[in-house]
Amino acid sequence: MAKKYEVCYADEIPVGSRKIVDIAGRSVGIFNVEESYFAVRNSCPHKGAPLCKGIVDGYVKGDKPGEFEFERDGEILRCPWHGWEFDLKTGESVFNPHKVWVRSYPVSVESKALVPEGAGAEAAVDEDPAIETYQVTVETAKGEVRPMLYVTL
Amino acid sequence: MNTAVSAKPRKFTIVDTDVHHNYKNKSDLFPYMSKFNAERFAEYGYGVQASTAFNGGKLGRRIDIIDPENPPPSDIGPVAYDVEDTKARLLDNYGIELALLTGGPGQLASAMLDADFGSAICRAFNDFSVEKWLEKDSRFRLALHVNSQDPAGAVEEIKRLGSHPAVCAVMFGCGAPRPFGNRFYHPIYEACVENGLALAMHFGGEGAGLNPPPSAAGYPSYYIEHRQLRPSFYMVHVSSFVFEGVFDKFPSLKVGMLEGGFAWLAPLLWKMDLDWKGLRRQTPWVDRLPSEYVKEHIRFATQPMEEPDNPEALKHIIDWIDGGRTLMFATDYPHWDWDDPTMTLTGFPDDMRRRIFSQNALDTFGLTLPSMSQAA
Repeated sequence: MAKKYEVCYADEIPVGSRKIVDIAGRSVGIFNVEESYFAVRNSCPHKGAPLCKGIVDGYVKGDKPGEFEFERDGEILRCPWHGWEFDLKTGESVFNPHKVWVRSYPVSVESKALVPEGAGAEAAVDEDPAIETYQVTVETAKGEVRPMLYVTL
Repeated sequence: MNTAVSAKPRKFTIVDTDVHHNYKNKSDLFPYMSKFNAERFAEYGYGVQASTAFNGGKLGRRIDIIDPENPPPSDIGPVAYDVEDTKARLLDNYGIELALLTGGPGQLASAMLDADFGSAICRAFNDFSVEKWLEKDSRFRLALHVNSQDPAGAVEEIKRLGSHPAVCAVMFGCGAPRPFGNRFYHPIYEACVENGLALAMHFGGEGAGLNPPPSAAGYPSYYIEHRQLRPSFYMVHVSSFVFEGVFDKFPSLKVGMLEGGFAWLAPLLWKMDLDWKGLRRQTPWVDRLPSEYVKEHIRFATQPMEEPDNPEALKHIIDWIDGGRTLMFATDYPHWDWDDPTMTLTGFPDDMRRRIFSQNALDTFGLTLPSMSQAA
């Protein structure tokens, strides 16, 4: 059953950067692509490499030799071991999107702490003691809300 | 002529994709050359030496098909030089409906330092082939000889003879200073496509003349070693065709790779596919698995077929390369190790045999069976 985990403040992952965290025993990479967040499992479907440590780059396209164009810059994650490319937005591989992919997870950014329906924050803690769930709405010095980032596994 | 051959029963239509025709004496080409070139050819021949000075059988020829009344000269190699004998022994005896004449002079001509002379020899050989072979039997088809290292000359030759109804391919030797995917050769492929011709390839001339040594470690000592290099001759060209984008640029181009066997192909396909998954971005015009390009565009002649100790292994190998689609039967007549069609791939399903023995070659070379055209 899908469960939502809070990870960090959204501003801890600026545009173009990433954060690799352990969530419920799984290593997950969260990437900020042009103000949108995407999370994929930190394990390459090929040989189990730490995929999320790879280079983030664009999709290189070329209709003929000598032509190289970048598309979807910042959206393609390249495995550090064998260079397999994955679309951060979907987890699909570039070379065979329908048969080879890495698990991707929904990411949400909210200004309020998650309170699962029908249960309080304590219930979530009971289900998974490794994850501490708590009220996260924080007032900054200027009185603004600091949004929190959640990943649903 | 010794025609004491017995007709054997046949079950399948046979298209033979590798029959080595040639002249018997160099002087056979003189009528098709300028006086100057004829004198040069008489005195010096090709001026380059093939790196395989030795061969098997008797001068490379299967000894039981030597006609004692018309024995081969010692200087022409294992080639068929007698049209009537070839018709009787090969075409009639085995019921071969179409035979691709693959000659051989083009491989050495392409290694010559004088590109114009090389192209002139190819032209002469083509004219000789048309007059002395194609016009002697409707079952013959010709792989037009060109000098691969003279693209402009090759294009001219394709324009000159490419529309001949019995010309169905252009012949390249495997030896070359640069692999055949290189854009240097693209004008030749453009001419092939315009004339509806496939590209046929055959070794010969590797290590000779302007060609690099036949292996990364130079010249092997023995003929048997040279035979082991053949897969490497083709491997470099297969990957070059794919990654230089030849099939993206010429989507209708077909290539036939002859006399190199095929057991080497599966690991090459696996390796190219795996490497492409990680290196795709370096050659993004290759937009699908390399093996898909190969299976769509390149065909491999069956001879000389590998014979694993366990016959079942051959079935796996053929399955791995989608052999029902990628293989074409070839006898390699009259070489010492040529394959008898009645003894080839006997344990395979009928439909697969039908494709390997005829359909794949018909598709690759754009051929129509005489029996079909007569019926039409």
